[in-house]
Amino acid sequence: MIAVFGLLLGILAGLLLEPTVPEVLQPYLPIAVVAALDAVFGGLRAFLDDIFDDKVFVVSFVSNVLIAAVIVYLGDQLGVGGQLSTGVIVVLGIRIFSNVAAIRRHLFHA
Amino acid sequence: MSVREKMASRPGTRTTDPAYVGLLSQVMTNTLDEDYRAVAERRGRADQPRSSETRVGLIVVLILFGVMVGVSALQTEQDRPRARAERAALIEQINQRQARYDDLRDVISGLSRQVTGLQSTVAAEVDSNGALTNRLDMLAVEAGTSAATGPGITVTVDDAPEASATVGGTILDTDLRQLVNGLWRAGAEAIAIDGHRLSTLTSIRSASQAITVNYRSLSPPYVVTVIGDPGSLPARLLETAGGRTWQGLQANFGITFDIAMSDKLNLPADPRDRLLYARPERQR
Repeated sequence: MIAVFGLLLGILAGLLLEPTVPEVLQPYLPIAVVAALDAVFGGLRAFLDDIFDDKVFVVSFVSNVLIAAVIVYLGDQLGVGGQLSTGVIVVLGIRIFSNVAAIRRHLFHA
Repeated sequence: MSVREKMASRPGTRTTDPAYVGLLSQVMTNTLDEDYRAVAERRGRADQPRSSETRVGLIVVLILFGVMVGVSALQTEQDRPRARAERAALIEQINQRQARYDDLRDVISGLSRQVTGLQSTVAAEVDSNGALTNRLDMLAVEAGTSAATGPGITVTVDDAPEASATVGGTILDTDLRQLVNGLWRAGAEAIAIDGHRLSTLTSIRSASQAITVNYRSLSPPYVVTVIGDPGSLPARLLETAGGRTWQGLQANFGITFDIAMSDKLNLPADPRDRLLYARPERQR
């Protein structure tokens, strides 16, 4: 309950306060969001599996975001930023899909 | 301990070694972070109370996630009009360049038309220049200001052998003038007397016993070179008053009057080829 509240609070803060993202980080924000989504759905599934752990979630969240951003940054430096971000999004998308499927099985027992 | 060793040492855990499982299927099956399971097993399902410290971390991370989602959505929303404006500006630029390209092409075709016109003008001018030069050359020959060459006749005249004895045996300036006028009338195109070309300013007159042509004193025999048709000149000369006079001179006073034809004669130019005072009056 408190987690959902925190999430909504964050979204509201982001929309209302409009914090300015540094120009350098702007290209990596969308990919970081996708990576964070993966971590969040993984955490949700773990929560439904009854094996959720705060520390693991925090670590996976932070490492997911950082690794995704670093991979895209490296790709940008090598001139293959577009392709690499596509690859990252494909992998994260697959993970998100299967996690959401597991969550759906949990919720609807189907 | 590496993750793999951890997994291997844990009985009952499905080992998904990427070396054996295809990358894609590994990505698809191994979606949940292994760590959740590992930590849960370490806890041994004993519901330990969660520490408030990690709970705060969870909240912070979730707020952070919310902020990221919000900002990212906001940014995309803000970028959209800008992208649209950029696109419109680019299209506008393309259209402008296209129009400029068309304009320049029109200019090019206009200029090349102009070039063609100017070229034909120049060609016409060159043509008329050539015609003018030709005409100038012809006029120079006629006026005696340029050397001339061509077929013609040579008329050699001399005083009678005993000129001093007979009164009329000496050639006078008027005789020469009559001869020259007869030659002109007979169709001569250029005449020289003893190498002195006759021009419009030439005078033939006596000056103290001698005859001067172009203000040069000459002595007999006088050689008159004429450019003209060698076939018709002698006959036509004899039909003129001058020719008849000279026939009379020859018959009555024994003055030499020989006509010889030649294929090629070279006449010099009158050295005084420019007018000192007279100028052409230009008519506008």
